[in-house]
Amino acid sequence: MTLNEALAVINSRKPASNEKRPYYLAVGFEPLHLKTFFSAALLQRLPDVGIEVPTGVYGDLLGNLELAAQYAAHGAAVVLEWSDIDPRLGLRGSGGWSEDLKPEILTTAQQRCSRLESAIRKLSIRMPVAVAAPSLPLPPIGHTIGAQFSAAELTLEYVVASFLLQLATVPGVRILHKSRLDGIPACERLDVKMELLAGFPYSLPFAARLATSLAELLQPSHPKKGLITDLDDTLWSGIVGEVGVLGISWSEENHAQVHGLYQQMLGQLASWGVLVAACSKNESPIVESALARADLLLKKSSIFPVCANWNSKSQSIQNILRTWNVGEDDVVFVDDTPMELEEAKRAFPGLSCLQFTPRDPDRVWDLLRRLRDLFGKPFLMEEDHLRRESIRASAEVREFGGLSTPDFLSSLHGTVVFDWRSDPNDKRPLELINKTNQFNLNGLRLSEGEWRKYLDDPNTLVSVLSYSDKFGPLGKVAVVIGQKNNGAIQVLHWVMSCRAFSRRLEHHALHKIFARSGAEKLRFDYAVTGKNHILQGFFRELGIGSEHNGGICLSRDVFLARNEILPHQTRDIT
Amino acid sequence: MNNIQQRVTRCFLNVFPDLSEREISRASTASIAAWDSVAHITLLSAIAQEFGCSLQFDDFEELTSYELIVDRLENANQNA
Repeated sequence: MTLNEALAVINSRKPASNEKRPYYLAVGFEPLHLKTFFSAALLQRLPDVGIEVPTGVYGDLLGNLELAAQYAAHGAAVVLEWSDIDPRLGLRGSGGWSEDLKPEILTTAQQRCSRLESAIRKLSIRMPVAVAAPSLPLPPIGHTIGAQFSAAELTLEYVVASFLLQLATVPGVRILHKSRLDGIPACERLDVKMELLAGFPYSLPFAARLATSLAELLQPSHPKKGLITDLDDTLWSGIVGEVGVLGISWSEENHAQVHGLYQQMLGQLASWGVLVAACSKNESPIVESALARADLLLKKSSIFPVCANWNSKSQSIQNILRTWNVGEDDVVFVDDTPMELEEAKRAFPGLSCLQFTPRDPDRVWDLLRRLRDLFGKPFLMEEDHLRRESIRASAEVREFGGLSTPDFLSSLHGTVVFDWRSDPNDKRPLELINKTNQFNLNGLRLSEGEWRKYLDDPNTLVSVLSYSDKFGPLGKVAVVIGQKNNGAIQVLHWVMSCRAFSRRLEHHALHKIFARSGAEKLRFDYAVTGKNHILQGFFRELGIGSEHNGGICLSRDVFLARNEILPHQTRDIT
Repeated sequence: MNNIQQRVTRCFLNVFPDLSEREISRASTASIAAWDSVAHITLLSAIAQEFGCSLQFDDFEELTSYELIVDRLENANQNA
């Protein structure tokens, strides 16, 4: 992005309302073009809102962090440079670099990092914080030639790395990975002239890259949920139907290491809770035998379901999506054959189709990096690990003959837990609100800042529902947000994970809200989206269905008259 | 309006979106209230990137109007 392009993006955006979403930019230098690029990058990631980027005063990063903490922003980007660690390390400093001053510089660096850590921790309680480590070269402070690290330089790098490591474990803090900036070499990042003229240290291309990366950290794309992989010449080298179970390979000695790398990547994704399925034109028994090989680098139990048949790939993908109960937009399909990818893409335009290229290892490497970006998430949660097992259990339950009968549901010995605590460190509720489509009151997404405002508001009811039964725990599966309003409850957000469907948890949720709030009426901020057909069906079942957007009401009497005996035990956590 | 004038005008419009093209052709730091020091650096940086040229310290003091900027770029173009 050039500066003109960034300015054009900012000028072209006239939001429908005057409301602007603030994102704080905390820097110790003159923010100048970084602010412009940061605003433009946020606008590109948030197409429907206006953006405001407040900044602080020149030369006082710590003070600016304190100012940011007082600001009701949706997020903050903190950009560190060496001059923030010790002013003598900046181009505008003149305190000296002589050897006798080095110990003092290192002491200052440690003290400054400690204070910065404390300020960023405090800020992260209020809003998500993206932190960029110093990315400019240090001034020539070493006594060595430029090719040799001096101990002072390494100590400074160590002090900063230790400080970032502490911050990386803080919920709400995201450290910018230096690889995102690698495309621009260190010697092309600094603009000495602009730093001396205006106090702005970055070249324009580097400022654009840094700002775009920070916006990506604060407004990341939603991670994909599932990966469907081909088997022959993708998960392993060889056609198992031709060479047999022992003929396929994924090892270096067989020149098939790229398949081994891919298997390790899928194993890692599965450990994050990503759903992994196999889709192969093959005989099912031989595939089962191949997947049972003890030296496979991906556990067989990590793959569910396995669709091995002679149907088209799109038919198998359809079955997998149905089993997972996940939309095509949330899934990646990997295959070595362009024709199969094309056929799948035509059937499911929202599916991300990626080619595995066993004869081009560099492209396989790129594919692995791309998979990290598509599936990566800022933190892992307990629910991530429960997902695959609960989907497998649901599939088994469906084979039992369905979930809908009251007797069957009662036989599950289920428990619904309503957690009314407002824990800002629990990331799962916000993830549910921002990922759930089929049972979603209105499709509205929330930023972390908006979510925290609800948690802080004493007039707002927030309940997070967890469920478990004899098949195991599903974890946190639903969130309801409502506000008290003249004896009624205005339900602003209501989402439920597809894993929890058909268990009447939605009935339990309404029953609990009526009981706990004492309200006679619930008003729903309802909107028809292209995807919330499950919620629409539930409202029709309650007799309050609507094909149109707008508020709809449910009175306690109507609900109780239509509601059957609830099948599960409930428990409250307050 | 020649190619250089068109490109400079586009840069001005990006930095001062409320000005008309007519106002831009007469614009100077003295006549445009919004042309403060931050706008000045933004404008000249955008123009330098647009034309792939490097600005010197003195340029920031001397290039204080649309006309002066266009003249400088046209001269540089003729001398290239």
